[in-house]
Amino acid sequence: MIPATRTYGSRFAMAIFDLLNPIPYGLFVGTLVFDITYAVTRNVFWGKGAAWLVTAGLFFAVIPRVINLVHVWISARRTVTGVEKLDFWLNLLGIIAAIFNAFVHSRDAYGIVPTNVILSVITVLLLSIGQFVVGLNGFHSKGTAHD
Amino acid sequence: MTRTIVSCSFAIALAILMSGCNEQATYDPSKQAGGEPPLPGAHNFLAPPIQVPKYVGWQPGKKPKVAEGLQIEAIASGLQHPRQVYALPNGDILVAESNSPDAEPVTTPKQLIAGIITSRSGKKAKGANRITLLRKRTDGSGLWDKYVFIDHLHSPFGMQLIGDTLYVADTDAILKFPYRTGDTSMTTPGVELTDLPDKINHHWTKALLASPDGKKLYVGVGSNSNVGENGLDVEYRRANVLEVDIATGGSRIYAAGIRNPTGLQWEPQTGRLWAVANERDEIGADLVPDYLTSVHEGGFYGWPYSYWGQHVDPRAQPQRPDMVAKAIRPDYSIGSHVAPLGLFFYTGNNLPAQYRGGAFIGEHGSWNRSPLSGYAVTYVAFQNGKPVGTPIPVVTGFVSDDEKESYGAPVGLTQDRDGALVIADDVGNTVWRVTKAGG
Repeated sequence: MIPATRTYGSRFAMAIFDLLNPIPYGLFVGTLVFDITYAVTRNVFWGKGAAWLVTAGLFFAVIPRVINLVHVWISARRTVTGVEKLDFWLNLLGIIAAIFNAFVHSRDAYGIVPTNVILSVITVLLLSIGQFVVGLNGFHSKGTAHD
Repeated sequence: MTRTIVSCSFAIALAILMSGCNEQATYDPSKQAGGEPPLPGAHNFLAPPIQVPKYVGWQPGKKPKVAEGLQIEAIASGLQHPRQVYALPNGDILVAESNSPDAEPVTTPKQLIAGIITSRSGKKAKGANRITLLRKRTDGSGLWDKYVFIDHLHSPFGMQLIGDTLYVADTDAILKFPYRTGDTSMTTPGVELTDLPDKINHHWTKALLASPDGKKLYVGVGSNSNVGENGLDVEYRRANVLEVDIATGGSRIYAAGIRNPTGLQWEPQTGRLWAVANERDEIGADLVPDYLTSVHEGGFYGWPYSYWGQHVDPRAQPQRPDMVAKAIRPDYSIGSHVAPLGLFFYTGNNLPAQYRGGAFIGEHGSWNRSPLSGYAVTYVAFQNGKPVGTPIPVVTGFVSDDEKESYGAPVGLTQDRDGALVIADDVGNTVWRVTKAGG
């Protein structure tokens, strides 16, 4: 039986979500900045930095993405809106692009350019659109309507 | 609808991922051997290809296979990563037991993961940092005694005796020791002749070769990266052959752009300097062929800007068209990723006639190619001072037939006083001796 009102458990999950969800976004934006800087300067420091940023971003994305998955598709305590589903898919595609990007960053030196920049742009763009659409529709970041 | 799009893109993503991991070599190493190797187009991988056989070592009674007409015996076992062998005039054999100083910092996530995977090969085992002396017993038993000759070295590799001075190339310096014929242990501490490039030490071995007049030492110094990914400033005096003046310790770059020149030898007929070199990785299972080449004074051989002459490698930036233009094409391809670490021009007369006048090459074997290549001692025939034909496998069986397990891997080579071929096997921790069958 699924309770109609929020349980402590679901509030706890949302608090964790709010705590962790901005971290991968910031790291992926950092990856993009470093990738562009490497493409321009050809100084290997930036490419190596970007490799760590995208890997760390993926690491920190695991928990908030699982919470979002459960929220949108599993805990059917209410009707899930189309915006929430769109946000889920945008994030999923963005993370898939980031996984590819992490592999691309395992190449040596300038072998990562320009694929690294393209994938970083895709990830940041998809995550940004998701965040923006959710915000435009008056949803809180985890997709719950404001009271 | 959205779901269909997403599951489709997910399937495509997985397919790309799998294909990136499963690239197979199309050339047999022998088909890519010689002066005009076929070179496929370069491409980047999604994930670096890795195929590493699991290290099991030589079980009792097991040994490498040799070509017809030859036999093989272990003359020392239980060593700690024997990497290089050098024969002294009195018949003793020096064995440098050595491995990487492990000074390379982890600066990318890839290094973390690759380190874990490749460690199962046994190629990363700790070296003893010493030189062991092997002496054949005079009682006719064919057994060899083992003595600790010089201890507490720092990743030693190259060894050369000039007169009564023994030169040892640690990874960071050339040391000289006073040698007395017949000694089985060195009591005098080494004196530094000159320092050698020792930062990062991605490629750590320092090959050593004395000039015939005993006035110069040639040092093979490998690059500090695969293709410049650690920045080109750390490649100062790297990927080259240094010439060191023995009287003063002063040095200069003799030849450059050779990614990892691990074996240096004089070609006996012409007296020219030759080297085996390990070329770059991760642009294809059949790229770039490792090579055997004559080394010209002042010559530039391409690394990191180009390979096999003027094939530009865009991974090295900023690019240098001026350097690419003057890159010398190596003389002879041994095959891609075979990892030649030992070179020896055979001048003895114990081995059958077909093994005389050419060079033996110790191929340590690939870790990033499927199927495996190398893991063998091969022979390259020479005519008029030039390599001819394809490398002939002479000592094989260092990996299991299914390529799942590794028993050993050949590195340094020399010949003993009887004209036998002596092989350092750093993974199998053994020194092997090859002679003519029944001899």
